[in-house]
Amino acid sequence: MRYLVGLGNFTAGDDAVGVHVIDHVWAHGLDRGFSAIDLGANAMNLVSYLNEETEALLVVDATQLGREPGEYVIFTPDQVETQKELAGISTHEGDALKVVEMAAGAGYTIPPIAVMGIEPLAMACGTLELSERLAERVPEYTQAAIDYLLKM
Amino acid sequence: MTSTAHIDVHHLTRVEGHGNIVVNVSDGAIEKCEWQVPEAPRFFESMVRGRHYSEVARITSRICGICAVGHTLASVKATETALGIEISEQSWKLREILKHAENADSHVLHAYILVAPDLAGAPSVFPLVETMPEVVACALRLKRLCHEWGSLIGGRTTHPTMVVPGGMASVPTTKELAELKDKLIAAVPDLQATLETVKALAPNVPAFDRPTEYIGLANDENYGLYDGEISSILPDGTQQRYPVADYKLVTNEFVVAQSTAKYTKNKTDSYAAGALARFNNNYDKLVPEAKEAAEALGLAPICTNPYMNTVAQVVEVVHSVYDSLRIIDELLETGVELEPLAEPTRYGKGANSVEVPRGILFHEYEYDADGICQGGNCIIPTNQNHNNIQHDFNALVPELLEADKSEEEMELALSMLVRAYDPCISCSTHALDVKFVR
Repeated sequence: MRYLVGLGNFTAGDDAVGVHVIDHVWAHGLDRGFSAIDLGANAMNLVSYLNEETEALLVVDATQLGREPGEYVIFTPDQVETQKELAGISTHEGDALKVVEMAAGAGYTIPPIAVMGIEPLAMACGTLELSERLAERVPEYTQAAIDYLLKM
Repeated sequence: MTSTAHIDVHHLTRVEGHGNIVVNVSDGAIEKCEWQVPEAPRFFESMVRGRHYSEVARITSRICGICAVGHTLASVKATETALGIEISEQSWKLREILKHAENADSHVLHAYILVAPDLAGAPSVFPLVETMPEVVACALRLKRLCHEWGSLIGGRTTHPTMVVPGGMASVPTTKELAELKDKLIAAVPDLQATLETVKALAPNVPAFDRPTEYIGLANDENYGLYDGEISSILPDGTQQRYPVADYKLVTNEFVVAQSTAKYTKNKTDSYAAGALARFNNNYDKLVPEAKEAAEALGLAPICTNPYMNTVAQVVEVVHSVYDSLRIIDELLETGVELEPLAEPTRYGKGANSVEVPRGILFHEYEYDADGICQGGNCIIPTNQNHNNIQHDFNALVPELLEADKSEEEMELALSMLVRAYDPCISCSTHALDVKFVR
């Protein structure tokens, strides 16, 4: 199975762009040939998909790339190093890359993984909507993510 | 005796959200000793106004990435109370299994990933991947089990979709329930390994006792995770129950300058919610396997050491596995079928509660005749614990000074104390922050 996974805090504006992509997949019935998963802010649950049965996994998440808000880049974990200073890992403090790193260290089979990182514009807590700039591009993000996932 | 200490932990790590520890001691006098909560309010109560009752739980489930099941259940239960909805026995049982899955999931994360590093003398879980790989692997196996356990019943564990006002939007097949039963049974060796790990680390749990009031749900049938009355137990064993509808008479929220989160108190200066509070209130309702686990880990009611909350969480994981097996057997015997959702019989105001990993959670809503939400109120358990943490600080800091502890030792002791409560202060943002190296 191939998985498209959205991560983010739904109440923190653009932080939830990954979740909005998954909502778009479901709303338009686009999940053909893969399963769309909304993990919300709980990146730890990625471990459930790190096994031999997973053909490919693409995580969509807001990512501070230093680019123009709304731009996106698809990268693999070995292409980047996290800039977060983490003393641990939790749903609040950790990130998807750290979860993958920990699972790999614990002997998990890591399937092909890529991350679609989308530069956020605004991540204020208490905001249920995406910024206009990201919201209007959700269909584009979704299609790009699906195209990439199905070729992984 | 330590006479001077300055501790300023800004954004304590390995807790969910942001909190600060500030202690200033000069010439033996404690000038400041505070657990500070600087998180901004998120106004969920205003977000649900004007929404149809069928939408409310989908919004409030987003309050928390870990307790999304609990917030969904509390929200749906409060809505059902407000609308006079009675759900079926089958829906009740499925929700109980889902509640067990969430508690076990969160407790595994907290005990293994957030607390074990302190007890093992490591700065985080990452060094343990190399030094204790089998322990980390066991944690991840249990984490995965809990995710599958909850996903089967809730549709997904993060913001579940199957729990709706009136019942369950979908139900698992008997085959799927039987498979879940097999998975839970297969996890027993990992439960045993967890108990051995905790037993080995238990001597590192700090010795500190501060009697306080413990509040949690309780009923006459079971451990009370999904439903019950509000139960208060004092260290002398005095127990009192209150109807959930009277939750404001128990929580008595008030504000303090050092915290953006409201404090609560009932009979004593503060009270504790969470696994230890549930254990102290409901020990008799634990399954035998959980009682054996508690005994093996040196936990007995009424325990007044807040650091033992993590041990109580591990006992609850055992309880949730075995009690879920019991409920699954009952469902397999009767069979499971999709039922029509129960309809509203009135429109008004209603409060209800569930136990989430960090303690008792209250939701209350009011609906107009069209089923549109006119207002809501949510009191989360971490807020109920802030006042108790502060009172623990007030008692612990003098003990640490008297014991001639260094600043570093005091900082660790206070940090571990806060972590023991497993506080989920508020959801923050989670964006990746990366630099390209290739």
